[in-house]
Amino acid sequence: MNAAQTLRERSEAEASRLPPLLARAEQLAGTVLLGDHGRRRSGLGDDFWQYRPAQIGDSRRMIDHRRSARGDQQFVREREWQIAQSIMLWVDQGASMRFASGKDLPTKADRARLLGLSTAILLVRGGERVGLTGTTLPPRRGNAQIIRLAQAWSEDTQTDYAPPEHRAMIPHARAVFISDFLGPLDEVELALTKAADRGVRGVLLQVLDPSEESFPYSGRTIFESVGGTARHETLKAANLRDRYLDRLAKRKDALTQLCRATGWQMGLHHTGDSAQSALLWLYRALDGSAQ
Amino acid sequence: MTVLAGIGFTAPWVLLGLLTLPILWLILRAVPPAPIRRLFPAVTLLLGLKDDESVSDRTPWWLLLLRMLAAAAIIIGLAGPVLNPSRDETGSGPLLLVLDASWAGATRWSSTLDQIDSQLTEAGRAGRPVSILRLTEPEPPVFQAAEAWRSRLPGLTPMPWQPTEAQIDLILETLEQAAGGFDTHWFSDRLDYDGHDQLVTALQGRGDVTVYQSSSPATAILPATYQDGAIQLSVLRANPGPAETVTILAQGRDPAGAMRVLQSTDLEFESGSTQLQIDLALPSELRARITRFELQGQRSAGAVTLTDDSLRRREVALIAGTLNREGLELLSPLHYLTQVLVPTADFVDGGLAEVLPANPDVIVLADVAKLSEVEQAEVVEWVEQGGLLLRFAGPRMAASDLGRDAEDVLLPVRLRSGGRSVGGAMSWGEAKGLAPFSESSPFYGLMIPEDVTVATQVMAQPDPNLADRVIASLSDGTPLVTRKPLGLGQVVLFHVTADAEWSTLPLSGLFVEMLDRLAVASAAKSRQEAQMQGTVWEPVQILDGFGTLIDAGTLAGVDGVELVSGQIGPNLRPGLYESGKQKLARNVLSDDSVLSPAVWPADVPIRGQEISTETPLEGLLLALALLLLTVDVIASLALSGRLGKVQPIAFMLVALLIAPDARAQTPDDTEFALNATHELVLAHVLTGNAQVDDIALAGLRGLVQTLHFRTSVEPADPIGVDLERDELAFFPLLYWPITPDQPQPSAEAYAKLNAYLRSGGMILFDTRDADIAGFGASSPNGRKLQQLAAPLNIPSLEPVPRDHVLTRAFYLLQDFPGRYSGTEVWVEAAPPDAEQIEGMPFRNLNDNVTPVVIGGNDWAGAWAVDRNGQSLLPVGRGYAGERQRELANRFGVNLVMHVLTGNYKSDQVHVPALLDRLGQ
Repeated sequence: MNAAQTLRERSEAEASRLPPLLARAEQLAGTVLLGDHGRRRSGLGDDFWQYRPAQIGDSRRMIDHRRSARGDQQFVREREWQIAQSIMLWVDQGASMRFASGKDLPTKADRARLLGLSTAILLVRGGERVGLTGTTLPPRRGNAQIIRLAQAWSEDTQTDYAPPEHRAMIPHARAVFISDFLGPLDEVELALTKAADRGVRGVLLQVLDPSEESFPYSGRTIFESVGGTARHETLKAANLRDRYLDRLAKRKDALTQLCRATGWQMGLHHTGDSAQSALLWLYRALDGSAQ
Repeated sequence: MTVLAGIGFTAPWVLLGLLTLPILWLILRAVPPAPIRRLFPAVTLLLGLKDDESVSDRTPWWLLLLRMLAAAAIIIGLAGPVLNPSRDETGSGPLLLVLDASWAGATRWSSTLDQIDSQLTEAGRAGRPVSILRLTEPEPPVFQAAEAWRSRLPGLTPMPWQPTEAQIDLILETLEQAAGGFDTHWFSDRLDYDGHDQLVTALQGRGDVTVYQSSSPATAILPATYQDGAIQLSVLRANPGPAETVTILAQGRDPAGAMRVLQSTDLEFESGSTQLQIDLALPSELRARITRFELQGQRSAGAVTLTDDSLRRREVALIAGTLNREGLELLSPLHYLTQVLVPTADFVDGGLAEVLPANPDVIVLADVAKLSEVEQAEVVEWVEQGGLLLRFAGPRMAASDLGRDAEDVLLPVRLRSGGRSVGGAMSWGEAKGLAPFSESSPFYGLMIPEDVTVATQVMAQPDPNLADRVIASLSDGTPLVTRKPLGLGQVVLFHVTADAEWSTLPLSGLFVEMLDRLAVASAAKSRQEAQMQGTVWEPVQILDGFGTLIDAGTLAGVDGVELVSGQIGPNLRPGLYESGKQKLARNVLSDDSVLSPAVWPADVPIRGQEISTETPLEGLLLALALLLLTVDVIASLALSGRLGKVQPIAFMLVALLIAPDARAQTPDDTEFALNATHELVLAHVLTGNAQVDDIALAGLRGLVQTLHFRTSVEPADPIGVDLERDELAFFPLLYWPITPDQPQPSAEAYAKLNAYLRSGGMILFDTRDADIAGFGASSPNGRKLQQLAAPLNIPSLEPVPRDHVLTRAFYLLQDFPGRYSGTEVWVEAAPPDAEQIEGMPFRNLNDNVTPVVIGGNDWAGAWAVDRNGQSLLPVGRGYAGERQRELANRFGVNLVMHVLTGNYKSDQVHVPALLDRLGQ
């Protein structure tokens, strides 16, 4: 069997995964009402802003005859200036994300992609340009971009703990990073400071499995990362719980500090919770930062 | 065997293994449970964390205890514990088990076998060679391993006789030849017999003798006799024990022909008495039906007595030519006959016309010359149905023209006119005596008294067949008694009168015996040796030791004298014997039998037969160990947190332990009936082969879909039926795929199938092998089909004729392919007189739906679709294959239409429309 064939088979398998992800993302996005993205000044846009008297220099076709016919003065209809924002998304594709502690729980990667794609759909509907950090998929508008995003996220990488992509950041854009942030902290720090340097602000969403919060293990256990790069053996797992939880809290704390320093927002989501609340939080956070 | 605390151990040294338990405890305690591998992305946060304690995570104490218990159960189980061990002081050396094995022990035979079994087990444990000797069926003792005997144990049966002298002699002889000493365990039936003491002495000479006998003595019943209008029965017991009640059952056929208890009588043995007698007065109708008497609760040949003709009184009609000589009783032609027959027969009075409807066994015509034509026809009919017509000559017969020119149908021979007279006052010759009876005569063996002379007789014409018909003749060779068969019955003529006028025969005892041999008089009293002289009796049914009648098979005939007076043994088995039309029962006991208890020398220990059964605990303990280990598996999994994954398996294990019979939960018949009848349902026969069954179900599903799409027949989902369990009447069509390994249905299932076929059901047999085989027994499936269908009530078959209604019930079809398009399809043959009428395209065929359609085209394979309606199996290649599948579907539609509408399309009303479509 040649390479092209296997590639095609794999692509088909991947493609079959796309529609449900898209559908779910669309459905999730449908639950959030679009807010306004207006610049609160007149300019190019679709929405009505104000009528102003016609001035010299306005071409005749700009005159709004319906309004002008009410009186003697001629009015020009102005629209609100709407400008598209570039939003760059980064969803952790690392192997550590492909983990779910129970059969009825989605993997972290699944939830992260769902949230990422739903956000992208919302943003595209809002007229923003959405893309991936890095050079692979620069921000664009339109529904085709959603397909491309979904395609990009349907590919797994084999390495554990993928570092955030921080190259080719567009200055003053917005960014959304979704990951479990369990990998090396300095990579995150590097990405965030670099983004802050370029005036990019954004949102950090940490997605964790419930078992990573509660550590419900006991007995002699060998813990392995999903990619198999790290392992730790213990004879009494129950004894580790408190120290583990301590470390986890410290990690969260560090992330929060980092966000505060760079002007980002930090969010936490568990795969056991509803995806909708996380999407709502993400949307509000982006909306707020976009104001 | 070592006995500890009431429990014996066959291998006590294995118990030392228990000492290893503490070591095992330490080892198990030291070895920590195996680690679980877990995926955990947050392992980065764990890196560098150290365990607090250096000691391992220990196995909990209760799990250790569980494992210890399992180990202990295995060790103790392997040590072979036996509850209730028999504590007999086991001897050594060869052991001879002697069994009386007579009828007297048959009732308790199973407990005897149990005890022998336990003795064999014990001997096997002690390594003693064993031999078993049945005194009633002696074989030279062969000492073998006990296990070899155990496998032969079920084949040992008691015999319906006591050890005979010849057998004892044989045993004594073989014992003398046998080398070495041996101990003897003697299982006695508590009855004495000749040679018993010699045998005990001989066996004591070789070693210790121990006797095992049960506490209950044998009870037996003597042959039934008939006397003074009542059946006399005697019950014997060997030991004069305490008062005891026995119940005698009289068994026979009821009017419907079924065996049942006709009469049951309770009797009470008085304490100390050994014999009991009762007179049973029964109506003769009932009496004639009794075939055996038996003691209730006893299962031995001695507790059964068979009855024969002796209980049955024959009905005889005596008719004389004239009875007008009132007062002259001694001169009545019937006087001597009446005297002979009174003790043993019932008389039917009246003229010939009156007695014939009563259907007597025998009609005696004494000196009756001529019967009217009506009477003659009636008598002939009666004889042909098995009656015995006994005629005596006399002056009237001699004077008449009866049988003069041609043979009369009711006379064995032609007669010469006048007869002859010898030895009278007016003649020269002496009165003639009788010649000895020839071997072919029924009278063969009877003693002829000197004083029987014949003075006058009617003479037979010398015809070619005369010699065959003479059964007794005078010393000068002239016939005295002639006989000829007529239908099922016979006609016998005594050429003399029935009174003493012509001869002295009626005055002699020979007359009685002759009538007895002719089965005119049946012997009410037990037969005498003289009567049995020269007869050979053929065994019909014989008794086994348990008192069950079995077919005699090829046993040789027995001489009459031997049968009456011989000793019951291997050469003379008790049972029913037959000679000619007479039946004789030979029972285990004869009238003068006595049961005497066995007497043992004082130095022979006697033990009861009640045994405490040993219960080996080995299996129980090993099963317990397995159970504990199973619990251990589940507990270990639960401890290490892996139970979640295997929960379904664990539940399945538990379910298997609790409910081994899943079939017990099948829905009941009502539910099945509702499912099968709420709509039209097609069904297939479950063959037991899952693949074939699935295809059959899928095939019927496809057929149902086709019917839905194309016709107004809309059946529900098809179901599979189990022939043994399910009712078939609900289904119009059964599809029966044939696999070579499916089980043969039981007789009940065949009864159901035949009822199903009779009531208009149809079975489609499919051998599914048309690709490789032709029709018939050329393939395994074909042979299996023949086996399966043999008990079915299937009419004669023919290949589907071109004008069969199947070819046009819905679609117009020429052939009937399935997955294969091979062999012919067979249906019920058209009646032979069906002919095509000129101008009609079809014959007017049989009115019924054919009960079977037989072929091998694997129709279900062609019909089969999955749940989405996709065809499951390929048919042929390409378009041609799809066309074939379409034709297969059309065949299915036609078949269902044929089943549901019968010969509707055969109706000639449709001929014009069909002709139109056929383009003719």
